[in-house]
Amino acid sequence: MKFRRILALALVGTMALSATAFAEGETTDITMWTYPVGDWGNAEVMDGLIAKFNEVHPEINVKVEYLDYTNGDDQVNTAIEGGQAPDIVFEGPERLVANWGAKGLMVDLADLWTDEAKEAIYDSVENACKSNDGVYYEYPLCMTAHTMAINRDVFEAADALQYLDEETRTWTTEGFLNAVKAVYESGQDPVGAVYCSGQGGDQGTRALVNNLYGGTFTNEDHTAYTLDSEENVKALQLLADTDGINFDASIAGGDEIQLFCNGTLAMAFCWNVAQEKNNAEIIDFDVLPMAFPSETGEPKLCGGIWGFGIFNNGDEAKIAAAKTFIDFMANDESIAADSVKASTYWPVKDLGNIYEGNDLMTEYATFIQYMGDYYQVVGGWAEARTAWWNMLQQIGTGADVATAVADFQTTANAAAGK
Amino acid sequence: MKKTMTVRSKCYKILSIAVIILLAIAFAFPLYWIITGSFKTAKAINSTTPQWIPSEWVMDNYQKLFSKQRAPLWSIGIPFTGITFAGPTVPASIRWLMNTIFMAVVSMILTCATSAMAGYALAKKRFIGRTILFSLIVCAMALPKQVILIPLLREMSALNLYNTIWAVIFPIVGWPFGVFLIKQFAEGIPGEMMEAARIDGASEWKTFTNIALPMIKPGIGALAIFTFINSWNDYFMQLIMLSSTENATISLGIARMQAENSTDFGLIMAGAALAAVPIIVVFLIFQKYFTKGITMGAVKG
Amino acid sequence: MAGKAKKTTGYSMSRALVRRETIAGYAFMLPNLVFFVGFVIYPMIQCVITSFFDSTMNRADIFVGLGNYIELFQDGVFLRALWNTIIIVVVSVPVTCIFSLWVSSIIYDLKGPFCSLLRCVFYLPVVTGSVAVAVVWKWMYNNYYGIFNYVGKGLGLIDKNINWLGDERFALGCIILILLTTSVGQPIVLYVSALNNVDASLVEAAEVDGANRMQCFWRIKWPQIMPTTLYILVITTINSFQCFALIQLLTSGGPNHSTDTIMYYIYHTAFKLYRYGYGNAMGVVLAIIIAVLSAAQFKMAQSD
Repeated sequence: MKFRRILALALVGTMALSATAFAEGETTDITMWTYPVGDWGNAEVMDGLIAKFNEVHPEINVKVEYLDYTNGDDQVNTAIEGGQAPDIVFEGPERLVANWGAKGLMVDLADLWTDEAKEAIYDSVENACKSNDGVYYEYPLCMTAHTMAINRDVFEAADALQYLDEETRTWTTEGFLNAVKAVYESGQDPVGAVYCSGQGGDQGTRALVNNLYGGTFTNEDHTAYTLDSEENVKALQLLADTDGINFDASIAGGDEIQLFCNGTLAMAFCWNVAQEKNNAEIIDFDVLPMAFPSETGEPKLCGGIWGFGIFNNGDEAKIAAAKTFIDFMANDESIAADSVKASTYWPVKDLGNIYEGNDLMTEYATFIQYMGDYYQVVGGWAEARTAWWNMLQQIGTGADVATAVADFQTTANAAAGK
Repeated sequence: MKKTMTVRSKCYKILSIAVIILLAIAFAFPLYWIITGSFKTAKAINSTTPQWIPSEWVMDNYQKLFSKQRAPLWSIGIPFTGITFAGPTVPASIRWLMNTIFMAVVSMILTCATSAMAGYALAKKRFIGRTILFSLIVCAMALPKQVILIPLLREMSALNLYNTIWAVIFPIVGWPFGVFLIKQFAEGIPGEMMEAARIDGASEWKTFTNIALPMIKPGIGALAIFTFINSWNDYFMQLIMLSSTENATISLGIARMQAENSTDFGLIMAGAALAAVPIIVVFLIFQKYFTKGITMGAVKG
Repeated sequence: MAGKAKKTTGYSMSRALVRRETIAGYAFMLPNLVFFVGFVIYPMIQCVITSFFDSTMNRADIFVGLGNYIELFQDGVFLRALWNTIIIVVVSVPVTCIFSLWVSSIIYDLKGPFCSLLRCVFYLPVVTGSVAVAVVWKWMYNNYYGIFNYVGKGLGLIDKNINWLGDERFALGCIILILLTTSVGQPIVLYVSALNNVDASLVEAAEVDGANRMQCFWRIKWPQIMPTTLYILVITTINSFQCFALIQLLTSGGPNHSTDTIMYYIYHTAFKLYRYGYGNAMGVVLAIIIAVLSAAQFKMAQSD
């Protein structure tokens, strides 16, 4: 008897509590997971942006979770399987559109892509944000061109600056080889590292290989991988044979950046403006960002596009709140420029010159003109990335380049065909 | 003849001890390297000539560690209401430490309580299906947990426990080693004592608490420390089950941090020190019970 | 006598007592069974079932029969992972056992606190935790600032920096070395106590009979510590199979799959390739291997 009474009391109590929560509420809690895209991976900056959002929309609580590129994908994938995918994820089309979108996990963002938005956003970006079936799984915020960088001091000392064009920031394949040779002979070993412990920063290694002899990573329609072209095989062979370029299976892109910044390596293949900003404290030499070397001296840089996607968690209120958040961050005049600036990259539509008077940004803006095809939306991307670093490891340990490339082709194209 | 033998065997012994001392230094070295590394300057860490003893002791790495991310010290949710009480905001690593302590303590208590009862029943109660249950337990003990990671993840998701500390605790409690260990201890309870209690009309529960419990106490003590240390270091379950920064444990937090700042070894060492030092202190304090426990578990098993 | 009396009464107590014992038994088992069945047995059954399906993210499972298993044995990476796992077990189990037996045989009769101090030191890496251990070794192995390269060059053992974890020839060995340091702690504790429990009078008698140190050890002590050895064999084997954190944190299975183990490959298959059924099939295969091995070790010990 006594027990029953307690139980009843407890039940009433809980109900009362939940009732108050409901009345008080009307607030929607959403979670956003961001990859470290400039300061979108920095809690302090994000807190500032969200505070601004909450001034206008106090009814939406946004909780941010910060991922890294090494484990981030695993973390999202486990969360999906655990039934707790975030509401918003901030990353590029290669994940949002080609991977999770293609698996039917993302919400169609058609109502954010108004005619006005389609008009404003650059076409190349728009194309990257929709799936092959024409569904928009990503709403973009910012973009950049991934470059490489050299340690200007070391190059100068080795008298290697003569092989590159400091004005246009380009060099030919021949110039690159001469420069590496000169730096290597000046006693710098290794000069650069083809990092391949994982997928982190692999756009750099891909761009390097593709540019050297003008190969491409996929066909024009982004339906199949074309790594086995003569140009790419030649480029990989060249890298494997060049003294001073190490295939290093113990580091990934992030490590390479740090090794470059502290002077251990004389060049970095995983570079863009954010790296120079974030590492300003450590760098005590002159960084010269460069385009990737190519035979013609006309590089095709690998682009980066970042924006928002919404995981379909089946909760309409959360999806609506997520859309409100995205719309505000990307389109509201009071904040759009700031959210782009927080990424340290460039807007995907004309917002005027938001980096007026900023020398560093002006310097890096040079590279936008070299932007190449955004092929990362090809099918089977997740599998192909894994196959890519596995292939580099094979080549690094002395495997025959043609065989390793053939292996990659088989795996990647099988995944693309799914 | 005999004499030269003893001289030779003495020599052998002294030499061996010398080698073992050297090895012991090597075994302790990683820990030393973690602790000193966490106080080194960035310059000392990134130099190709290592400093065996830091020439300059700085707190930079700890400052960086504590300024990285912030989280409430605790957040206790009332089930089904959506109400949570959040504590004051602290560096995330402190929160991780809190989570880890909570997880280890709760796992320890639950494991000890359930194993004590079950181990006692398996050893002393002649019930139907006992042999089958026991062999099931022994078989399950040999399997690595990782084998069942995918079904376990789906199950936690279905139970709405994914990304809560309970998703890590429950599999630990379910792991049958504890039952096995306690059973070995409970075998030693003399049958006469239980018989006497029964004749005196004591209830089953009384018999357990008054007679069995005092006798299996050393076993429980050993199991407690064992579970505490193992769950503290059970990185795999944490990696799979916990996704948010707030719910991470210290091992997981440090592992993620090292992925993010993979060559900032000073920072990572500070994190590693924060993860390792508390548990080592616990171990050193309870060392005696611990060694006793694992020995008894083995000898009797 | 008393035991026999109890037994007879036990039998004559008949149904009522059996019932009472059964109810009490299960009542005491219940709290544990909830967890054991819920979070160990149930997932295991699920694991076996799913292994017959092609199961991936956000799509209904498709029954493929033995398809996953057939594919497994044609999957070069899986076979490599299996091979690596076997190497890890085959190297680390005997080395751990012999090393810890040797250390214990030297330190077990030391006077004063030395024995327990040394025992403690060898146990430290176990307590330190796999993550902390992994990150510090990562630093020590580092290609550029690692202490191994520095010491190696200082002693003239190597003439240029070796990329320990990034070189196919060394990576697995490096992982095994770390694994060894984290696995000898428990065996040493066990052996020290086992050796202390060896019947001293037998040893003395043998010495009087003129047996030398080696004879003394193999004839008298070894048989007595045999059960401990068996236990150590079993736990070390299980531990070596479970090696995951080191690989996930240090090499991700690379370079060139040289450190892929089944444990890591399951994780990789599940969360990078989204193939849950396939991952489960691997789990089942691994479970069978471990079961067979453990059974064999028991048999071996019993025949001795």
